[in-house]
Amino acid sequence: MNLLLKQQIRYRFLYLLFLVMLFIFFILNIAMGSVHIPFLDTCKIVFQQQVDNEVHQAVVWKIRLPRSLATLFGGAALAAAGLLLQVFFRNPIVGPYVLGISSGATLMVALVMLTGLTAGIGGIHPFFLCLAAFAGAVGVMFIVLAVAVKVRDVVTLLVIGLMMGYLCSAVSSILIAFAEKEKVHGFVLWTFGSFSGFCWDELQILAFGGGVLLLGAFLLGKPLNAFLLGENYARSMGVNIKLFRYLIVFLSCALAGLVTAFAGPVAFIGLAVPHMARLSLGTSDNKILIPGVILLGAVVTSLCDLIARLAFSPVELPVSAVTSFFGAPIVIGLLLKRRTAL
Amino acid sequence: MMKTRKLAVGYGSKTVVDNIELEMLKGQFVCLLGPNGSGKTTILRSLARLLAPLQGAVYLKGSLLNKLKPSQLARDLAVVLTERLSTGLLTAFELASMGRYPYTGFFGRLSEEDRQKTWEALKLVNAGELAGRYFSELSDGEKQKVLLARALVQEPEVIILDEPTSHLDVRHRLEVMAILRRLAREKGITVIASLHDVDLALKTCEVVVLVKDGKIVACGLPEEVLDEKTVAGLYDIGCAHFNRHLGTMELRDNGGEVLVCVVAGAGSGANVYRLLAKRGFAIVTGVIHENDIDCHVARGMGATVIGEGPFGEISDVAYRRALDFLEKTNFVIDAGFPVGPFNRRNVDLIKHCLGQKKIVCTMRSRKDAGELFASPARNLVYCRGVASILETLDGGKK
Repeated sequence: MNLLLKQQIRYRFLYLLFLVMLFIFFILNIAMGSVHIPFLDTCKIVFQQQVDNEVHQAVVWKIRLPRSLATLFGGAALAAAGLLLQVFFRNPIVGPYVLGISSGATLMVALVMLTGLTAGIGGIHPFFLCLAAFAGAVGVMFIVLAVAVKVRDVVTLLVIGLMMGYLCSAVSSILIAFAEKEKVHGFVLWTFGSFSGFCWDELQILAFGGGVLLLGAFLLGKPLNAFLLGENYARSMGVNIKLFRYLIVFLSCALAGLVTAFAGPVAFIGLAVPHMARLSLGTSDNKILIPGVILLGAVVTSLCDLIARLAFSPVELPVSAVTSFFGAPIVIGLLLKRRTAL
Repeated sequence: MMKTRKLAVGYGSKTVVDNIELEMLKGQFVCLLGPNGSGKTTILRSLARLLAPLQGAVYLKGSLLNKLKPSQLARDLAVVLTERLSTGLLTAFELASMGRYPYTGFFGRLSEEDRQKTWEALKLVNAGELAGRYFSELSDGEKQKVLLARALVQEPEVIILDEPTSHLDVRHRLEVMAILRRLAREKGITVIASLHDVDLALKTCEVVVLVKDGKIVACGLPEEVLDEKTVAGLYDIGCAHFNRHLGTMELRDNGGEVLVCVVAGAGSGANVYRLLAKRGFAIVTGVIHENDIDCHVARGMGATVIGEGPFGEISDVAYRRALDFLEKTNFVIDAGFPVGPFNRRNVDLIKHCLGQKKIVCTMRSRKDAGELFASPARNLVYCRGVASILETLDGGKK
């Protein structure tokens, strides 16, 4: 019983720690950037008070604030999606994109950016790109869901997801081969993923959609725990495997697809954050992990985006590069510290 | 409690076991025996509804298994499977408490009662002290106990276990079986398990079901069903022998060239036989009474046994047969058998050999041998243990 109490204290402490970190990084994200804005002014703008400098007003209100919020939601969504799939596939190296979500999105974006599809329209509206990416992600998701009905075990599903990814990538690379150079540059930048250029409308969609989906993930905690023991045990305990399978694939794909639509494929968060959460919280209990992963996902992504913007300011690094560059050593370190394998 | 009607189990179009008619009563301990690949696991999976039956039906407490609601089934029936678990950072307690799944609410929060039940189950399987440790760091035996506790926490009336004793050491194997027997007897839980050890099945369960070649070969009390021939037939064993009296298997191996005669009785010879058989000696042993444990062991290993009826004095026929064998060998071993009215003539056999200058090893002390054999005792080779017998024999061969 003493042990349980100790665990409870540890969870509470770490949640609190994550929250504090989240707050700090969020503030830093708004306050810092290539344009220097006094901290006091930043606060004023955030609380919708007038500031003399209109440029500052615009930078904070129209650029930094939506971007910081998007980073929070995007990170949380990706991390939760990663956790769901890691449990579902009982495989520690699975991430949110393993079912081909990002490849589907990328393919659609490639179609839009690299081919003459939009020749008549002229410039490509960013919102149209988002729509294309989301369509790609959802398309792949439905194919995977359709397959999920027929497939017996999860590993087959995993392999099919991977194959879908390869198929999409193959078509994308063919498109690249035939595309004009200038267009390829823009496309490649998109594939790096970035939270820049979020506007309030987009943020609303992300926040609302992501919020609902994350709540759904949270409600799945109980069956998800049963799934830790594998499909057979879960079934023997009364889990409706078919429904559960649908829900997991739907939730994780929708979460990942939503983020990818607006920010492009952001690497590593979905893979690494669940590990960080598991190892720092010291449990695989998903009822504890899901809130932890959501918080930690937001924290890590905020930090990475901050670094991406500031490290070589005014040049901005691709956020995926930062997440991988710092994330990988952290995960390796945490793993080596623990005796247990995943 | 559980019943099957014309049940056929298998995967897709492939029927593994056909026409299964079984009935398990409340509190019964049922074991499935059969060679690898005979379909034990398939039957168990079908009984647990992890696999849909191809034909026929399974009834649990009178109602059709397939018609039960999953949550209801989970309260009646729990499983312990063989698959390896990758549970990550889950403590034994957390894992066991998952058995409360059918009882907890939407969020799966454990009530005080749930916790209490988990503790009880862990203590019942002697795993209370493992509660705080990570499941993945436990040994195979400890893991099995925790999994058993998890099944118990489900408070089922039937527990189905797939090879609960494989990969376990002797202690855990016996412990797990003892726990299962206790559950059946004291808690009235119906335990259905597949096993690999014939001897464990014979010694623990109430009903054995023998599965082979796609059908149920036999079903009934292990004491009745498991005889030498059935077991040998079940596993197609030619090289070993199952003894129902001892409940064990002996490796049959008596193809050596060098013949050794062992004079034994009352269990003095069992170890000597095994040693000699392993080293490739051909064994003749006698004169031994039919009710003697040495007789069972020697027969099981395929040694030539010069036998005598139970509790009778050694007859001239047996004595002469023994002498005939003694003619053919140079090596005689006196296993140090106790001497009584019925087997006095075995002493004469050894004295005879001593007179013929054969190499006679004895496991008796000098004092005892002197009293027993009188003056010929000085020709004996005294061996403290089986190891020195081996040295003497190896020396004699050269």
